[in-house]
Amino acid sequence: MEMRDLVALGDKLMDIDEAKFRQVVGLLEQMNDHPDIQRTIAVIRPRLVELRLSRRPTLKRLFCDPFEDLFEALGKADPVPLSVIERSLMNSLWPLVEAEIGKDRLRAYRPALQEGEERKTLCEAFWTECAGAVAKIAEGAVAGHFSEPLDLRMNPNRTRALADIAVILSIAPEVAELKAALSPKPVPKLHGDHIEAIQTIGRRLSRVRPDALKIFVLLAASRLTNPSVLLSGLWDMDLGQKSADRAALFMSLSSTVVAQIEDRSRAGQAAGGGDRMAVADLALDLVATLDATRAAMEQSRNKEFDHRLKQVRNSVHSMVKTQVLQDADAGIVSAIGALDGGGDVREGRAQLAQAENHARALRKCATIADSLGLRGELREMTQKTTASLTERAQKELAGPAGNARSGYTAIRMIELIAGPAEANKIMDGIMNGDRR
Amino acid sequence: MRSLTNFAPSTFEERGAAVAFTTPVLAQTRVRKDSRDQLEVLVPNLSEGRGVYVVPWKSLPLAFPMTVHDRMLHELIAKADGCSPDDIRKAVLEAARCGLAGGGAVAAAEAALSDDEEQRLLINYQLIVEALKAVGLESTEILRVGLTSAEGQKLTRDLMMKAAQRLALEPTELYGRIAELAVLMESIGLASSPKPARLRRLMRDLQGFRDSMTDWATDNVSEAAPIGGFCAEVAEHTVNHARNVIGQLDQAMASFETLLRQWETKRALIRKASSRLSWLLDGWEYLILLWNDALTQDRYSQDMAVHDIFRVIPLLPKDEGRADQSMMADKLISSHKRSVRAYVDWRSGQLDVDLVMRIETIKGKAA
Repeated sequence: MEMRDLVALGDKLMDIDEAKFRQVVGLLEQMNDHPDIQRTIAVIRPRLVELRLSRRPTLKRLFCDPFEDLFEALGKADPVPLSVIERSLMNSLWPLVEAEIGKDRLRAYRPALQEGEERKTLCEAFWTECAGAVAKIAEGAVAGHFSEPLDLRMNPNRTRALADIAVILSIAPEVAELKAALSPKPVPKLHGDHIEAIQTIGRRLSRVRPDALKIFVLLAASRLTNPSVLLSGLWDMDLGQKSADRAALFMSLSSTVVAQIEDRSRAGQAAGGGDRMAVADLALDLVATLDATRAAMEQSRNKEFDHRLKQVRNSVHSMVKTQVLQDADAGIVSAIGALDGGGDVREGRAQLAQAENHARALRKCATIADSLGLRGELREMTQKTTASLTERAQKELAGPAGNARSGYTAIRMIELIAGPAEANKIMDGIMNGDRR
Repeated sequence: MRSLTNFAPSTFEERGAAVAFTTPVLAQTRVRKDSRDQLEVLVPNLSEGRGVYVVPWKSLPLAFPMTVHDRMLHELIAKADGCSPDDIRKAVLEAARCGLAGGGAVAAAEAALSDDEEQRLLINYQLIVEALKAVGLESTEILRVGLTSAEGQKLTRDLMMKAAQRLALEPTELYGRIAELAVLMESIGLASSPKPARLRRLMRDLQGFRDSMTDWATDNVSEAAPIGGFCAEVAEHTVNHARNVIGQLDQAMASFETLLRQWETKRALIRKASSRLSWLLDGWEYLILLWNDALTQDRYSQDMAVHDIFRVIPLLPKDEGRADQSMMADKLISSHKRSVRAYVDWRSGQLDVDLVMRIETIKGKAA
């Protein structure tokens, strides 16, 4: 197969069967670092991650090993690292690092890719050398300017990412230890031995490289299902720092966490329309993170953070209000009308599925309505919708010329919004009334 | 209360038939008749503990908060005559059709019912053809004019009269035997059928499940891997038994003339084999779909799915299997224990909306 054909396959590769997919990945691997190949790999990366294909070990992959957890998330459900490194930055960076170290010296590190006694020592030497090279490259890249060698504009995020890479590479052995302790990724809950490992490595680090402690904690956080969980455990963790340093580290981490929540709530606001269930899920997640962050920050009352968190809460409030609560009754009740025949069956079914999602979203938001100050509005909307649905069900199920399917669907919507107990009560009411 | 593994049923009837409830804690629980012929339901592993709760059917809605769909299904089963897998399936399809479990379930139930109808026609036609073939009569003419046309029906009647004469039977008797056989074989179909019937398809899917689960469990370091291996093994045993039963039926069908002549003695055998097959494969459809769905998700969800499957896996009754599967399951119990994963929202005691939605989605895929 020609390279052109392989690349032309693009996202079709996501659908082919597994055995073929593995074969194609093998072929792509052999074709080295052509930009087209890289683009194709980028397209199929989510599937690569899902299948956990063990790809051919290369020095580039070894170079990324210590900071790979900070790469941008691929799937929607994957945890977002608190401090992101773009893959494109790494792709432009690696050739520069290669040139900086030199082909001959790199060749000497090749045995590090195979299992062997000297592997650990070689890896560590390789990372140290890379750290030096990246630090040197970072010096040349000025924030706000276009970097010729990297072929990228150096925005503040990229400048920070470059500096982070250099620091992480310089503490790579500690990072490897951390990754072994916090595995497999993502870790859903922090257990005693996890905390113990973070503390032990962290204490060692704070003696020799106190400046690397923040990025180390961020790396630890990025291996968790919910990265902000680490924040609440952090205050009680003894990382061997003076209390002033600890407060400073905590502040700087809190700021990163808060900035991430702000980003996510902004993205949620901007998305609009679409899937209401996704909005409800995001709102629930944001409120949980907000609560966790607020609880973690109890120790260090800071007005600025309080203010920022309040703003996030306001934006979640308006997101739920405009995207879940608004027009819920009209949308849900009219979808049942689609069952009465006449219209396109497939369209009717899609409309119904959308209405079901809306109903579920309403119910989901009930758990956060209190903390968002939306309790009254939500209750009003739920009652209003339930009342119209009950009326509809009554008409269809008890009336002489009713459409039973529409009636049962109305009951189902009530169940999704108000729960089975309420729906059963209404259903019993209608059926018993009918019998009388 | 008895432990899951002490609870080793001797017969299929004692094991009960799986009911496709959408309430998560009740999903795929089994219903059976007690000594006084009253229905009772077996709820395994409540709150992740060991054991099976036996609840009288009437008290089920009092013991567990149920979805409206499940309340309706509960009433339909109570009204039905028996609780064999076929009776339960009928009630499940009827409940799904009214729309209380969502649009997907309605479409799936309607597809299943129309498939049943199609199979009923097909098996009737095939059995008539087999009967004619058995006595050396040509049946292609019927196919040409069409079985449902007036001409076709007349032709069929004439030919069947001849066939009855050759078999030395009353024509009504021959019709009666074929009609009875069609009812018994409806869900199984003939080996030569162009479209395999439901239980044959299910057996094929179960083989796929066994292969996929074996692949998954091999070289897997997850704690759920031995459980997955066990599930694959149970599937393997079930497939072997099912293959035997289908083999017996196919053999009986192959000597069709003998079957028709000795109907009085063979009837009991066919009836037993057909009911045994539906008992053998009972409860697997949901598990196969659940697993196929899990395969498209991440590792963690796959582990969870394996635990869910293990919780309600249809173990072969003692009288059926040579190996005592309940003994083997007992050894695995320790790795099945996990942190409590509630089926209800622990803050409100209300149903977990996401879990119900997942079960309904799977219900929508069953056809």
